[in-house]
Amino acid sequence: MIESCVLGVATDQDRAEFERMCVLHPEVAAAREVFELSLEKIAMQDSVDPPVEFKEKISTVLRPGQTEVNRISESFKRESKMRRLNWLKFAVAACLILLAGSLYWNISLYNKKNQLESSNQKLQNDINNYAAKMAEMENDAKALQNPNIKMAALQGTQHSPQSFATVYWDTTSTDVYLMINNLPRPASDKQYQLWALLDGKPIDLGVIELKQEKMIPMYRMKNAAHVQAFAITLEKKGGSDSPLGDMYVLGKL
Amino acid sequence: MLHERSEEAFNYLYDNYSGALYGVINQIVPERETANDVLQEVFINIWKKIDSYDSSKGRLFTWMHNIARNAAIDKIRSKYYQDNLKNQPIPDNVHNNLSSYIVKPVMDDIGLRKILTRLKEEYRTLIELSYFQGFTHEEIAKAMNIPLGTVKTRIRTALIQLRNMIQ
Repeated sequence: MIESCVLGVATDQDRAEFERMCVLHPEVAAAREVFELSLEKIAMQDSVDPPVEFKEKISTVLRPGQTEVNRISESFKRESKMRRLNWLKFAVAACLILLAGSLYWNISLYNKKNQLESSNQKLQNDINNYAAKMAEMENDAKALQNPNIKMAALQGTQHSPQSFATVYWDTTSTDVYLMINNLPRPASDKQYQLWALLDGKPIDLGVIELKQEKMIPMYRMKNAAHVQAFAITLEKKGGSDSPLGDMYVLGKL
Repeated sequence: MLHERSEEAFNYLYDNYSGALYGVINQIVPERETANDVLQEVFINIWKKIDSYDSSKGRLFTWMHNIARNAAIDKIRSKYYQDNLKNQPIPDNVHNNLSSYIVKPVMDDIGLRKILTRLKEEYRTLIELSYFQGFTHEEIAKAMNIPLGTVKTRIRTALIQLRNMIQ
């Protein structure tokens, strides 16, 4: 019975019986041990070494604890890598948003800058205009301060009683300045012309290029050496060699 | 220590016992390749079942030896193995000369088999069939057409003789 059980050929029933016997009778257990040792001795004596690489092979297969740890650490690594990736994705997204925002800001600032530049330019132009006008006015004012200036008031004619103009004639330089105090706006194909009257004869002093934007409607006309009276007529655009149109104002010196 | 399934435990087991177990396996499974597979399975089994080893029931080697023997027998009975026509189970019909059904022992000069050669052929056959081939008493009784009780008694006698030879 001992041998059967130790060798593993006994039935389950017999083995159970035997185990009980071993517990109850220590001498049976002792006898069992003796046989076991003999068997072990034979097996050891006639052992066959497995292939050398086998130990490593089996060892790696058998590391359930190790593989468990590996599996867990792998999944941790994967998780932390994913977390890092997620953070990275988030960081990239945040950067893109900032970039987009910054681009938008840039564009709007650029546009603003352009706007400001053009309005600045416009202001500059306006200033230049005004400066020019001021200069012009200054010149005109200066001209008028000249003590050699003679003034002629040109009254409205029957044709246009409300009209009124003034001529400032520098007798030394013969410069003629015309101030339009009140003249009706002419039709687009007509223009006013100034005449100097000498001995009954009209002398062309130029066409008046009306400029609405002038601060003071003072116009420099052609020079006149000798004048007795001034008159303004309405001629066709570009003027005429002799006064053909209606006379609007007339004044003697 | 073994129950911890530590690296040292494995080393201890393998270094001390792998050769003995491999020897046992080779006596049942002659092909080296297959024997290697069995050895791997055996260690896996030992490793898995180490918690179930009860030292009060016997020595550690006895327990491991049993695992090895069972694994080897399972292997030679497996469909794969038998498909290779290396072995044939005892058929139900009677065949008086059983020795033709016994796998030609490759290593009958070592281990138990060597000792077996000193036994009477009748006893040697029984041990070969029950121990090395894993046939139950019933299967043997049926195949040899002798009563179960006779099989049991004869095996017991054979084993006692074996014990006397090795102790």
